[in-house]
Amino acid sequence: MEISLIGSSQAKLGRSDLANRELGFINLKDGFRVSNDRVCLGKNVRWKKAGIRFTLRALHQSEPLQAEKRSGAGRRSKSVDGVRLFVGLPLDAVSKDCNSLNHAKAIAAGLKALKLLGVEGVELPVWWGIVERDAAGKYDWSGYLAIAEMVQKMGLKLHVSLCFHGSTKPNIPLPDWVTRIGESQPDIFFKDRSGKHYKECLSLAVDNLPVLDGKTPIQVYQSFCESFKDSFSPFMGSTITGISMGLGPDGELRYPCHHHLSSDGKTQGVGEFQCYDQNMLSILKQHAEASGNPLWGLGGPHDAPTFDQPPISGFFKDGASWESSYGDFFLSWYSNQLIAHGDSLLSLASSSFGDTGVTIYGKIPLMHSWYGTRSHPSELTAGFYNTVKTDGYEPVAELFARNSCKMILPGMDLSDAHQPNETHSSPELLLAQIMAACKNHGVQVSGQNSSESAVLNGFEQIKKNLGGDNVLDLFTYHRMGAYFFSPEHFPSFTEFVRTLNRPELHSDDLPNEGEEEVAQSMIKSQESSISMQAA
Amino acid sequence: MSMSTTLTLEPLFRRPIPISIAHRSSNPKTFFFPPPSSLSSSTIIKTPSWSWSPSHKLHAPKFQAFAANTDTLEPLQSSDVLFSKISPINRTELLEGKIFVRLDQGRDLRNWELTVGCNLPGKWVLHWGVSHLDDVGSEWDQPPRDMIPPGSVPIKDYAIETPLKKSSSAAEGDNFHEVKIDLTYNSEISAINFVLKDEETGAWFQHKGRDFKVPLVSYLKEDANVIGPKKGFSFWPGALGQISNILLKSEAMHDNDQDNSKQSSEPKQGNSQLEGFYVEMPITKEVTVSNSISVSIKKCTETSKNLLYLETDIPGAVLLHWGVCKDDLRRWEVPPAPYPAETVAFKDRALRTKLQSRDSGKGNSVEISLGEEFSGFLFVVKLDENTWVNDKGNDFYIPLSSSSSSLTVKREDQSEGVQREVTKVESQEESSSTFTDGIINEIRHLVTDISSEKTRKTKSKEAQESILQEIERLAAEAYSIFRTNIPTFSEETVVEPEAAAAVESETLVSPEPPKISSGTGTGYMPKDLYNLNSRYGNIDELKDVVKSFHGAGIKVLGDVVLNHRCAHFKNQNGIWNIFGGRLNWDDRAIVADDPHFQGRGNKSSGDNFHAAPNIDHSQDFVRKDIKEWLLWLREEIGYDGWRLDFVRGFWGGYVKDYLDASEPYFAVGEYWDSLSYTYGEMDHNQDAHRQRIIDWINATNGTAGAFDVTTKGILHSALDKCEYWRLSDQKGKPPGVLGWWPSRAVTFIENHDTGSTQGHWRFPSGKEMQGYAYILTHPGTPSVFYDHIFSHYKSEISTLMSVRQRNKIHCRSTVKILKAERDVYAAIIDDKVAMKIGPGHFEPPSGSQKWSSALEGRDYKIWEAS
Repeated sequence: MEISLIGSSQAKLGRSDLANRELGFINLKDGFRVSNDRVCLGKNVRWKKAGIRFTLRALHQSEPLQAEKRSGAGRRSKSVDGVRLFVGLPLDAVSKDCNSLNHAKAIAAGLKALKLLGVEGVELPVWWGIVERDAAGKYDWSGYLAIAEMVQKMGLKLHVSLCFHGSTKPNIPLPDWVTRIGESQPDIFFKDRSGKHYKECLSLAVDNLPVLDGKTPIQVYQSFCESFKDSFSPFMGSTITGISMGLGPDGELRYPCHHHLSSDGKTQGVGEFQCYDQNMLSILKQHAEASGNPLWGLGGPHDAPTFDQPPISGFFKDGASWESSYGDFFLSWYSNQLIAHGDSLLSLASSSFGDTGVTIYGKIPLMHSWYGTRSHPSELTAGFYNTVKTDGYEPVAELFARNSCKMILPGMDLSDAHQPNETHSSPELLLAQIMAACKNHGVQVSGQNSSESAVLNGFEQIKKNLGGDNVLDLFTYHRMGAYFFSPEHFPSFTEFVRTLNRPELHSDDLPNEGEEEVAQSMIKSQESSISMQAA
Repeated sequence: MSMSTTLTLEPLFRRPIPISIAHRSSNPKTFFFPPPSSLSSSTIIKTPSWSWSPSHKLHAPKFQAFAANTDTLEPLQSSDVLFSKISPINRTELLEGKIFVRLDQGRDLRNWELTVGCNLPGKWVLHWGVSHLDDVGSEWDQPPRDMIPPGSVPIKDYAIETPLKKSSSAAEGDNFHEVKIDLTYNSEISAINFVLKDEETGAWFQHKGRDFKVPLVSYLKEDANVIGPKKGFSFWPGALGQISNILLKSEAMHDNDQDNSKQSSEPKQGNSQLEGFYVEMPITKEVTVSNSISVSIKKCTETSKNLLYLETDIPGAVLLHWGVCKDDLRRWEVPPAPYPAETVAFKDRALRTKLQSRDSGKGNSVEISLGEEFSGFLFVVKLDENTWVNDKGNDFYIPLSSSSSSLTVKREDQSEGVQREVTKVESQEESSSTFTDGIINEIRHLVTDISSEKTRKTKSKEAQESILQEIERLAAEAYSIFRTNIPTFSEETVVEPEAAAAVESETLVSPEPPKISSGTGTGYMPKDLYNLNSRYGNIDELKDVVKSFHGAGIKVLGDVVLNHRCAHFKNQNGIWNIFGGRLNWDDRAIVADDPHFQGRGNKSSGDNFHAAPNIDHSQDFVRKDIKEWLLWLREEIGYDGWRLDFVRGFWGGYVKDYLDASEPYFAVGEYWDSLSYTYGEMDHNQDAHRQRIIDWINATNGTAGAFDVTTKGILHSALDKCEYWRLSDQKGKPPGVLGWWPSRAVTFIENHDTGSTQGHWRFPSGKEMQGYAYILTHPGTPSVFYDHIFSHYKSEISTLMSVRQRNKIHCRSTVKILKAERDVYAAIIDDKVAMKIGPGHFEPPSGSQKWSSALEGRDYKIWEAS
């Protein structure tokens, strides 16, 4: 294969000199060699007509591309034509022992299809429980590296989601050694009022407590991130363009207010406050004592409903305790704990990956049930102090802005019209509120759909969300798998992608559009292969 | 136009192995019965087309003819060879030829000569045998010794292999091979059966999936007269035993009439019983042809132009599409004239030159003179409308020197083992085929000429179309693989945890291979054969179970469903008949005569199962894939043998083929049809029923056993209605399969289909032990149902098993039936075991032997000789 000169993989380009020699072809101009090298390095500058562009390219060479990429809102003006589209890889792409890939062949075929479709990249969940399964500090990235390689070969981008949580479906628990620790110290997990532990992620109250064999969870997460960075350094900034930091249950910044949150967020009940593990209680106690109301620190609101109860009575009722000063005390504390947790993790990610040129993301949930009530109980139990009186997302957006992170927002496929009436749910209004907060703070949003099986009119709703004048620059569609490629679903997805792609951009305008560009139409990628052959 | 995009497209579709021209098997219809055509072998040029249709347009000739003026070419005087390169090209040609069968009268009326010939190259072997008049089944026999030509090799006791020899008559061409068999008139022989085998490739050539059959006796003539106008002996396909019904024959005749009407010529009038005939059957065979293209460049000292000389030994008309490039962007350009003779411009972007025949008469060559401003010469070679030769998916590229000083490399590049790729475009129907390379290749052509804005748009559209199709194909592929992780149907045995213990006890007894009754409740609608994950467990668990059985010394049979397979995708008519997964067959793999699934294969060789597409086992690719799969099951899972599901659906000869390939320790087929009843009353004589099962075993050449459904059916009536007289046939032998061919009879009273949760045909309740007393003392290979082992019958069954083992009763043991009366059946087996079932009275005769009671239960009793 190396003989062939019209090759275009990076590996091959790196070898082009050799190949040329073999064919007795020594008529290379120096300039071209340089550009070959640059392509090898994965700078990914886009050119329409390579022949004309070499001078431009040389100019661009000195420019720090990453700085460009991270400049956030500045890019917007150029990307109005569309949103970059990513597709999530299967949650269990790597098997639990990390040695093997699940459905590798299917993923390979799927990647090709996505590439041809013009999708920009894929999202890959990387599980703590798989990589660091056996012992603290013992990482096995092999399976994920294999996938990164596949993605790179396919010329797709990769967003990595670092999952510090566990999952029941598919069954990917926390690392074995963490689970073992949890057996002896169950209070590293969140606990609800009835004493049930939520074992799919650590309680945020232990973030800075040395509960993991003498290390704090934050330290463990940090080592994990560092190891990730080292192991994936060849991909960083080139293939890997985004890292999403796991912030809590299902990776989202929230409390596990519903122990089994359905994927589309449709829950009738309001959830429960999760402040009953020993560490949370002691923080609450200190806080209450410090604020002069020691009695408020003995537990959560006594009249909060249980998981599945609607908020018709008790704490969340209009005029009930949530509106009292006790309510304000508790809810502020509860949400501030969450924000502080998010802050330490996002700043950890920023400092770990700041020099790699990748964009850091964090995900927040879309707790849209009961949004139409005054107290927004679902958001309150999840940790967002967002009611008719307070804007709970301003501090969240501010948190993301402070850490130069982009925000992942799910639920882009949900429309108000398809929500059950009795829950006063409004995903659209909630999305609008969060996006407005993000806009205020210059935080860019990456959208996701929330459900794996298509919601009625889901694609329409996504398009609507993407079309608006908003802060979205990327959309990740979840998630590759049997259903995704099934005859029921894939054609509509194809249709969706094609309508997303605007008619051809006149892209020979700016030389540095680079990867900020939307997924291209087929033709353009085809044409570009010409310039590729040239390079 | 992003660099990032461009980086990848191409390696996606690169394949290390060159694609051959002819893909898999050719259209089976043409294989056997093409319209009469020339006898000469020729490269297959089938209705080709891309998997995406618009491609034709891309090559729609839009030529501007140039004045071909050879005089303007530079003279050949030139200097050193600057560059020379030979690229080997492997093509697969599909040769079409014929099989000739001729029956001639020999020296006198009693001597006849059968000639079988073939005009394709190969190492041909005639694999043949005869049928005797008194044969009931379709079994082959060894021919009499005087019929066997020298050089023949007997194959077991039923066939002869005789190699074909190069024909002495030169008229037929170099490759004509034939074999002659002298037939001495022999009234015993009713027919000669044969298949043709090519030992080079191991391929078998059959006639419509059956043996060729040349009937030799008169009553067939009468039959023939009954059937159709064609008098005398026709040459018809297949193992039509005498018991075949008229309808089937007339069908076969009908086919034959159609297919051979122009060919079966000049029936010679022979004696009253036999007529000569001559027929030709078209066959095809793939052969690999190695060719090469060599290119050399010389520098013409006078003009300082480059002279490029290209030659190839590919025969026939060869078109060179070529262009030049000025830099290493390799963008095609058209150089200024002069051009070689017979050059036309091809869409402004390339030149098309017809290569000139070389003086030697073999191959083609061309010489092209190129200005020194060009840095490279690009070309692809077109052999015919559908066959393009390129360099592994890329255009061939030959560097040219732009300044003569800089290029001093003189190089003989033999390109060690670098294979060139020949891309063959497939027929329209192949829309879901994997001809990505072809698409990409075409895209490449397209890409290389996107300079003119005008053509660009239309091309873009076409390219888009093709890419969408490619996306669909990839998605379908991904879907089929992802799906396999969802527990769906699959074919496999299920083994409950306790099974190990169960079969342990069975091994104690069974003189034949012990086996597990595969207790799948479902799994009989397989889809992806390589997916062994099911609701019973995943593939790893299956392997574990097999391993633990092996650890206990127990063999494991895999329950394989070969008759039918559920499709993954719909065809364009919305019919589910396209398969996915590892065996992504198309509708040629489905029999043609099942109206529900629009198969394009041959007609079924058996009964159809109507819930799913029936597989056409006459297709070579199907059989090849199935054999591979069985071997995989043997090696990967560790199965020792097979329980073959629904074998009524296809010819037993294929089963033989599969068993020969997979070499199972034991195999048993499920040949299930209903017994004979008259007015709701089961007939006493069930010979027809067991004959059908025997026929099937025969067709497998005895490589497989079969479940003795006859015995189970008779036991039902006998036990249920107290009609124990049924247990002896008219000749005083056991009335089931075990009475006729005990070593192939797998006796049972219940299995997972008939009993257990499915309960299709339950054994009379409460009489199970009588059933076991019968089958566990009788010859045949008894199998004990899992459910029964773990029931309250456990101890009785295991006692019966140990009686059987202790007395070394085996599958060929002899049965002496002593009583078959209304209320009692009694027999002595091997003179060692006596048994009776039924409420009636029986005591073994006290003669030379002394009998001692071994086991007594409800309505049955077993004695052992002491």
